[in-house]
Amino acid sequence: MSAITLSNVTKRYGAVQVVHGVDLEIDKGEFVVLLGPSGCGKTTTLRMVAGLEDVTGGKLSIGGQVVNDVAPKDRGVAMVFQNYALYPHMTVRQNMEFALRPLKLGADEVERRINETAEILGLSELLARKPAQLSGGQRQRVAMGRAMVRTPDVFLFDEPLSNLDAKLRTQVRWEIGKLHQRLGTTVLYVTHDQVEAMTLADKIVIMRDGYVEQVGTPEEVYSNPKTSFVATFIGSPSMNMIDARITDGRIEADGFSHPVPTRFAGRVTEGQDVTIGIRPISIELAHADDERALPATVEVTEFLGNEALLDLRVGTHELVAEIPAEQRVPSGTKTHIRLNFDLAHFFDAGTGRSLNAE
Amino acid sequence: MSAPSKRQTVLVYLLLAVVLIVFLTPIYLIASSSVKPSPIMFQKPPAFLFTPTLEHYESLFGMRPFAKFMLNSLVVSFGSTAFSLTFGTLAAYAISRIRHKRMNDVAFWILSMRMFPPIAVVVPYYIIFKTVGLLDTPLALIIVYSTANIPLTVWLMKGFFDEVPMALEEAAAVDGYGLFETFWRITLPLAAPGLAVSAVFCFVFSWNEFLFALMLTGSEAQTVTVAVMSFWSSDAVQWGRIMAGSFIILIPGVIFVLTCQRWLVRGLTMGSVK
Repeated sequence: MSAITLSNVTKRYGAVQVVHGVDLEIDKGEFVVLLGPSGCGKTTTLRMVAGLEDVTGGKLSIGGQVVNDVAPKDRGVAMVFQNYALYPHMTVRQNMEFALRPLKLGADEVERRINETAEILGLSELLARKPAQLSGGQRQRVAMGRAMVRTPDVFLFDEPLSNLDAKLRTQVRWEIGKLHQRLGTTVLYVTHDQVEAMTLADKIVIMRDGYVEQVGTPEEVYSNPKTSFVATFIGSPSMNMIDARITDGRIEADGFSHPVPTRFAGRVTEGQDVTIGIRPISIELAHADDERALPATVEVTEFLGNEALLDLRVGTHELVAEIPAEQRVPSGTKTHIRLNFDLAHFFDAGTGRSLNAE
Repeated sequence: MSAPSKRQTVLVYLLLAVVLIVFLTPIYLIASSSVKPSPIMFQKPPAFLFTPTLEHYESLFGMRPFAKFMLNSLVVSFGSTAFSLTFGTLAAYAISRIRHKRMNDVAFWILSMRMFPPIAVVVPYYIIFKTVGLLDTPLALIIVYSTANIPLTVWLMKGFFDEVPMALEEAAAVDGYGLFETFWRITLPLAAPGLAVSAVFCFVFSWNEFLFALMLTGSEAQTVTVAVMSFWSSDAVQWGRIMAGSFIILIPGVIFVLTCQRWLVRGLTMGSVK
């Protein structure tokens, strides 16, 4: 049985529709990340699951029970808010107690759960403090602790790391992942950060303008993006997109021409406008005498340690290449590159749908 | 900012001294006159050194049921404060949280009650209370004062509720609490400074009010402000009693404000509500 099911769920504020017919199945114990740019409807979707927003249309079920009209308190979910939403007039202990009170547990059990949770999250020393006396990372852990003590069926996270600095973000991200392994609770997690999504998720749901673009494992959305939007959104630096047209069995783009790879034969039609997606890592430096080499100018070289990023100008195209750091060339160099079409993605220029094989 | 020069410091203290003299002189006169023997009450220049006497206080409580008027004032003031805080706070919460395009009009309409000149409604109130048999009862004053205190409370508390982040209430909702419990356990405690401020305003207004108390009460529900005024008759002005009464009137107000002030400070130091 699915932990959470969304069937054609929509959300409308007056005349504005912000979520369009979302279908989603989340299995018990799964870690699902809603990923997308701001305004894509991911937080609204999460808030509908929490019961903080009404569902305009469709059916929302938690644990097999339709909860469209069920109050948040009766949904068996716990939520970690973006700004933590700790009760400022209560100590850390009281914050957790407050979350437990509606469960009407015995005093011993309350005590046991608070101590156990505090132990796991390293909050034992902080139980007597008020939120104002805690650092950002500590507040974040208290917010998680307050959600954890209730041992809910479903955890909801609303961009929980967005207020932390980069180093802390990595650490807390790792802690959340570890926690999920340990507790095995179903998680629905909202973020706009693809690294969080890729590292934490069992399944990523990529949203854009209120529509679900693709649902898949991190591996699937990276290797087999179904739309050009997903292709550019996942992966850092972004996939290079080149506008081209299929002419006489060749890919004709401004500045170069290449035979259509055999695996796309039959998938593209003569005269079709396509977008070719090539990841920066699929571009390599080449010798001038290589028959497939394209002349390129290195506009900027960024050294990142193990690898380097080259901002290239090829004809009218601006491309980014990721190459081993020792191969890097200085800014301003005229060089040659080769695009690895075996690893390229083809998208229909009109619909943005992928033309790659499933 | 650089440290103030010596001249500036002197100037500031001088200004403070003037302000203090203006505000404290009447209180000094009330306090000293209330224990001054009658014969030297109007001596010129005023006597600063004299043997204090309690004769005015004795006659105040001896000749008229001053204690009863005191009690009336307390009942009316606490009654109206409690009534106004209860309903004003609930109304303010609704106005703060319910999103409706006419909500601002509702809020303004409530405020407009406060703008009404009291003298214009004294006679209608008199007729109404006479008709329903509430004339000369504390309840009548509680109702009338609340019509002035509720708008004030609504506006003050709305401001404080607006400051309480919605996310806290949402967190409580997900944690398993209903609307009223969330309000009671989360929102209201965080708006406590607002409650203290509102309480001070409501209490002081009710305690000091004179016009309605004069017109709507007789011998039964009379409040101290009116009672003190009654020592001013056509035959004589009993200054000693007026001063003694005035001094007693000061006390509950001061105690109440000081009590609320402690709350107010505690509320402000709680912090972390962004």
